[in-house]
Amino acid sequence: MSAAVPVQCFFEDVEVNVPLETPGITLTRAHVALFTGITGEAGPPDAETVPGLLPLCVSSGLGWRVPRPPLAVLAFMGFEWRFLAPVRVGDTIHSQSRTLIKRSMREGGVIIEERQIINQRNETVQTGRLTLLVARRPKA
Amino acid sequence: MAGLPMLSYGPVSGNSGPFFEDLAVGQEFTSPGRTVTETDIVIFAGLSGDYNVLHTDAEHMKSSLFGERIAHGLLGLSIEQGLASRGEPAAAHGMLSGLKWKFKGPIRIGDTVHVRSRIAAKKEGPDPTRGLVSVERELVNQLGEIVQEGETEHVVERRPK
Repeated sequence: MSAAVPVQCFFEDVEVNVPLETPGITLTRAHVALFTGITGEAGPPDAETVPGLLPLCVSSGLGWRVPRPPLAVLAFMGFEWRFLAPVRVGDTIHSQSRTLIKRSMREGGVIIEERQIINQRNETVQTGRLTLLVARRPKA
Repeated sequence: MAGLPMLSYGPVSGNSGPFFEDLAVGQEFTSPGRTVTETDIVIFAGLSGDYNVLHTDAEHMKSSLFGERIAHGLLGLSIEQGLASRGEPAAAHGMLSGLKWKFKGPIRIGDTVHVRSRIAAKKEGPDPTRGLVSVERELVNQLGEIVQEGETEHVVERRPK
C-alpha cells in the first residue's frame, strides 16, 4: 500500500490575478520572545513593537491556510519588501496575495506573488513581491 | 534627602547613537558567526507555520537535491538580521524600512554563517530628524559561499541639535 500523495498546488494550478486572503493571527509577546530568541537581535526600543521581519515570517504560514492546497514551493528565490507602518503586540494581521506573473522553466515554473500584510484597522503595514520556484505536477 | 549625591542615569529614552552623521558610505562590518541547528528550524516552523517538507520531512529530503532538511529562507534572513545587529550600527539602531533579497543557496543543519556588510548609500529621510541608510549584505557559510545577499534600508536618527 502506498502512502497517500499530499494534495498540493502545482505550477499548472496557479491562477494569475486571483486574490487570496488568509485568516488572521494576533501577534503576542510570546511570538516576539520566540522570534528574538531565534534571531538573537537586540530587542526593539520598546517591548510592544513587533520586530519588522516577524509579520513577514508569519505570513508564509498564513499562506497555508487559504482555500487552496499548499503551493509546491521548490525554492524561495528572492523578494522585495517595504515596511510601511509599525506592528505592535496585540495587533491582528492577515495577508492578501495574488500571482502577478507565471513563467515556465525547465524544472518547474517561477511565479511572482504580490503580498500585503494588513492589520485590524485595514491598514497595509507591509507589502512586497516574492519570487518562488514552484514544482510542476508530476506525470501520472 | 539633603547630602545624598544625585544619581545620573542619562536620558531614559534617548538614543545614544551612532547617529546618521556617524555612518559613512563604504564602512564595512563583519559579524560573529552562528551555527544553524535543527532546533532553529523546528522552532521557526512552529512560529511561522511554514511546514514545507523542505524544512520538516527528513525522509522525503533524503531523495532530494539537498539530501537533508534545509533552513527556511526567511529563517536564514532572520538570523542574518540578528547577526548584523551585533556589529553593524545601522542595523542595531535603525528601523528596517525596506529590503531587496536573494536566496542563492541552501543553509543546511550544522552550517555556520556570518554576515559581511557595507554601507552603500545615505539619503534624505522621511523627516528632518531622520535619514535613510542602505546597507549591502552577504550571508556567508563556512565554505565561503554566499548563501543569501541583498540590500537593506534603515531609518536612522540624526544627531539631536
